[in-house]
Amino acid sequence: MRRLFAVGVSALVWAAAAAAAQPHQQVVLPGPVPYLTPNPPLIGTTALPQVYMTVRLHVASDQRVLVGVDGEGRPVQVSDRQRLIVRGKGDYQLAIGGPIRDVHPAAGTQSSPGLRTDQLLWAGFSPGRKVLAADVIVRTEVAAKYLPLRLRLKRDGGRAILTVANATQTPQRLYAGTVRLPELGRLLDETRRASLAGVRLTGTYATFIGSVRTNRLVTISAPLRVQGELRLPGQAPVRFDRILGDGRPESFQVSVRGSGTPAVHLEAKPAAVVRLLRPPGASSWAEAVRRRPLSPADLLERLMTTRMQLVRADQFQSFLSDPDADGKSRTVYEFRTVAVRPHPAATATHTGGGSDVLLIVLLVVGSLALAGGGLVAWAHS
Amino acid sequence: MRRTVVVLAGLALLVSGCGKSGRASGGDVVVAVDVPVTGSPYVAETIRHGVALATSGINSGGGLIIGTHSYHLRIKLYDNHLSARKAVEDMRSALSAGAVAIVTDGTGVDATWQIANQKHVPICIVYDGGSGLVDVAKRPNVFRIAPTNHGIAFRYAEYLIPKGLKIGLLHDDSAYGQEGSADINRAFSQNPRSVALRMTLPAEATDLSPQILRARRSGATALLVWAQPPTIAEVLTAARSLGWSVPVYTPPTGADPFVRQRLADHPSWVDGLTFAGSRLTAEVGTAPFESFQSQYESTYGADKVGVRTAEGKQVVQPPELAMYAYDFAHVLTAALTRAGSLDPAKVLSALNQVTTQGANGDERGFNQHSHEGVVDDDVYFARFHDMTYAPVKDDPLSSTLPAIPQTR
Repeated sequence: MRRLFAVGVSALVWAAAAAAAQPHQQVVLPGPVPYLTPNPPLIGTTALPQVYMTVRLHVASDQRVLVGVDGEGRPVQVSDRQRLIVRGKGDYQLAIGGPIRDVHPAAGTQSSPGLRTDQLLWAGFSPGRKVLAADVIVRTEVAAKYLPLRLRLKRDGGRAILTVANATQTPQRLYAGTVRLPELGRLLDETRRASLAGVRLTGTYATFIGSVRTNRLVTISAPLRVQGELRLPGQAPVRFDRILGDGRPESFQVSVRGSGTPAVHLEAKPAAVVRLLRPPGASSWAEAVRRRPLSPADLLERLMTTRMQLVRADQFQSFLSDPDADGKSRTVYEFRTVAVRPHPAATATHTGGGSDVLLIVLLVVGSLALAGGGLVAWAHS
Repeated sequence: MRRTVVVLAGLALLVSGCGKSGRASGGDVVVAVDVPVTGSPYVAETIRHGVALATSGINSGGGLIIGTHSYHLRIKLYDNHLSARKAVEDMRSALSAGAVAIVTDGTGVDATWQIANQKHVPICIVYDGGSGLVDVAKRPNVFRIAPTNHGIAFRYAEYLIPKGLKIGLLHDDSAYGQEGSADINRAFSQNPRSVALRMTLPAEATDLSPQILRARRSGATALLVWAQPPTIAEVLTAARSLGWSVPVYTPPTGADPFVRQRLADHPSWVDGLTFAGSRLTAEVGTAPFESFQSQYESTYGADKVGVRTAEGKQVVQPPELAMYAYDFAHVLTAALTRAGSLDPAKVLSALNQVTTQGANGDERGFNQHSHEGVVDDDVYFARFHDMTYAPVKDDPLSSTLPAIPQTR
């Protein structure tokens, strides 16, 4: 027994010594940046002019993206009512890029927005607080790619079915390795606190013991809260309120019985990661890792994926960029069925493209005919 | 011998490669300046100087570069005599001379913009802030770098209404006064209690005592006078002669040297006169404007007001209007370069897209929705004391601005 004890102690000492002998690496964890993909925020085709903002100024961005969808749920028009709240006293000269077709002053604005090719401009002086609000009409064909939801509306016999899917999914590589449980517990608690408070993650790192591997691909999505209704003429609307992601399905269906053209109206906003960050059987992760044996590998994966989900959610809080990188940004996406009336410019562009193709085909055919005719004439001359 | 020839030929090639510019000369590019040389000489001269200072700087730096050619900017001066009819004649002459743009104080733009627009030639107003003059939808070729009446009126409402004053809104019957009056009425329409009376003053009158007496009896505790410089001088003369120390507020015309010249014998009557203008300095400080002012004065001399301070120092006028004209010349050059052509339509389109650094350090440019180069937020207030002025301290923007030296 004594020998067994001695062997056990020796093994523990050896394991501790071996761990101490392995190199330690501090690895930066995901968040608050970089974002997982380049867009959103939307970007335009022109280089932005120099942006100037007095250091004392802070700008918060509040956006409502209005998406008009057709009878099948496809986006046909996208605009963004962006409201910037400038706090502090001083000068500002701001430029926001994007596939911008036009801008108009929105209700409550204390200044008029300027427009250049793919740029929304604000310039002036803030006496302490200033509201800059604009309705920004964006090019649908570009902006629609970066909306967080895909809708599909279809009729199936006597029912209209709406499918709502999370479109924020993106593949990402995960780190794997050995991190001590107490540190993982602390980091998960920090991440959970930030998520529940609705604030941006702060940069942090984990201490890896031994090698760090980055070989596993996972799919990351922003959790989204989706609330709305599906309606048929003369029928009571079917209301829904779901979370997509955060350990729940990434899509859902709603159906309504009846005839006529279905109409959908819903709001989606990036949500907190709640479910995946709930500590099992304890009030905190620090307590949970003390209470029961938890797999460090699983906890590390949870920490990495939930932080990436929060980064992804934060990314969709800025459909148009906030000129203040540290400013608080909020975006609500509102989808609504609209009568399909393609934008004249979009129609013109499409027609123009078609004409070009037709012109090229005609030119090629004409050239061939002319060359052939010439050849025949030459052969007979 | 053959080796020597080769070496000499090589040297010759090297020397030719070290020339100032390899670009071919494209000739002259004409910028027309149409200003009231005989109607308002100070305004005319300072605008002309502003454009000339910019173009001479560009010319001496290698000229205007468009593609593979270098062009020399040439100014053609026209005198509109403050007459719309003469401005139309000038416009036709300028277009015949091939002008790529017209810089004007604003005289006759209501009549000239269509003539210029037929050839897509841009007009830039650098003095008149009249609201109807610039209209992106109706007048796509008209731009402005000067504070707008609209901006000044609304900034005055924002500044004066919280003071709880009973304001007499006076304007003269000149076109300038009537246009400004419309904007002032709009700005104060939400707060009629702040207005003690509205009154039109005859612009040619030499004694406004009856009108000012009436304003005093209306209970006015402040006067906002939107008028030409002679009327402002007459209002001050009448009020102070009556022993009425009412605060007087004016648009930028209050800073015109004429007011101080007229009241040179009574400097104390000018004290307290407050005018609105566009800030001369940017957040970066006074250095860029002072550098521009020094460049201006070394070329043309200081614009002397013709009055002295109590200490006997000569008072000079900061070259504000010259700055606007100077900035437009630079924005125009940037647009020409961006357009890569002298095609007026391309230049007009490029004017909506370019930005340059203005003489005061601020960014200067226009855009598709606003052909205004001065934003309303940049309107500040300054008050006279001892024949010079300094930004007021009771307005958030103005209180952040430094005073510009005005004595020599």
